[in-house]
Amino acid sequence: MAEAVVRISNLSRRFGSKDALNDVSLEVPRGCVFGLVGENGAGKTTLIKHILGLLRAESGSVSIFGMNPVADPVSVLVRIGYLSEQPDLPGWMRVDEFMRYTKAFYPKWDAAYAEQLLEEFGLNPAARIKTLSKGQRAKAGLLAAQAHRPDLLLLDEPSSGLDPIVRSDILAAVIRTVAEEGRTVFFSSHLLEEIERVSDHVAMLHQGKLVLCGPLDQIKAQHRRVTLRFESPQATPPVVPGALRVTGTGREWTIVCNSAQLRQSTMAARFGAKIVEEDDASLNDIFIGHAE
Amino acid sequence: MNLRLNPSSGIPLYVQLVEQVKHAIETGSIQAGDQLPSVRKMAEDLLINPNTVAKAYQDLEREGVIELRHGSGAFVLDSIVAREKLMQKARAVLGTALDRIASLDLTEDEIRRLVENELAIRRTPKQLRKKHG
Repeated sequence: MAEAVVRISNLSRRFGSKDALNDVSLEVPRGCVFGLVGENGAGKTTLIKHILGLLRAESGSVSIFGMNPVADPVSVLVRIGYLSEQPDLPGWMRVDEFMRYTKAFYPKWDAAYAEQLLEEFGLNPAARIKTLSKGQRAKAGLLAAQAHRPDLLLLDEPSSGLDPIVRSDILAAVIRTVAEEGRTVFFSSHLLEEIERVSDHVAMLHQGKLVLCGPLDQIKAQHRRVTLRFESPQATPPVVPGALRVTGTGREWTIVCNSAQLRQSTMAARFGAKIVEEDDASLNDIFIGHAE
Repeated sequence: MNLRLNPSSGIPLYVQLVEQVKHAIETGSIQAGDQLPSVRKMAEDLLINPNTVAKAYQDLEREGVIELRHGSGAFVLDSIVAREKLMQKARAVLGTALDRIASLDLTEDEIRRLVENELAIRRTPKQLRKKHG
């Protein structure tokens, strides 16, 4: 079994009266693509800050590559490529200067690979960073994060506010990382379609708590979306104990449920309704179901 | 190959990929001996996880649709393509037949019963022995 690159145990963190993280435990296996979803303020960035060693665990523990990122920041950070949501790159630097500057921090910087990325991203090495568009800036940040071939590529909402073409480029870069053996990707996003495309594992944070964590295929298979047709139109939504979400009108109602907890056939029988459609729930269904 | 995957549908991505590769063979857009893109290239083109592509390729190999040649890549197998060509021919004839009886307004169940009957009449004793063997 692949060892865990990130191991978080019972992590909690309060800011004032707010529980930013509440007893969160998760493991990121080596070589996987781990997607973290959650609405704004759910605790995603706080979690990432713990991984980077920027926050010390108040209660619980954080282990990255088997090391404590707060006690041993250099050993941990040198193996991580990090791209934040709004990359804060030095505006006055030219792209090539920025590359030279970043290279100084990472012994494993691969100059040839960096050049290749530069070309693929279509960045002008002579351009000053402040003249770059938002998308180009994101790519410059991604270049810096990837060029030293980090063991862990850590992306915080990498596609935030970017147009679809740039988003595709970033996603392609992530996939290239994954294809190289042994490298792990951890990215947080609220763009569920992206998460669904590339993640092996998914975790969902809601108000600081981990409401879901596991292999994506398993999670999707466990959650079913069932459409029931009733004999007569229902004036109010049917009450389905344990359902994540109930929507619809009249005779047809769609229920998103965890099939481990709720058997569709039993549910249908209880209402005297017929199952007319049944699917794996989409991540969107599951997300909304847990967030409501 | 024109592949379109829908990550949000209820169908796992690797299943969609398997189905679409088979469909591409059926329609002739890929043929026997053709090489499929590498796992990595396919993943990059479709913007999905390479593990998903690998899973789909493994399934396709298991079903005898493609052959994974160590070091060379994934190749479409001959026997399947030949079979698909036969299927294409049969589909054309069947399609014409169905068009011609469309005006009779039979239900789908009735049509299926007709097809079953015709198949039953044509079953050879050898096939029957195999079935009840």
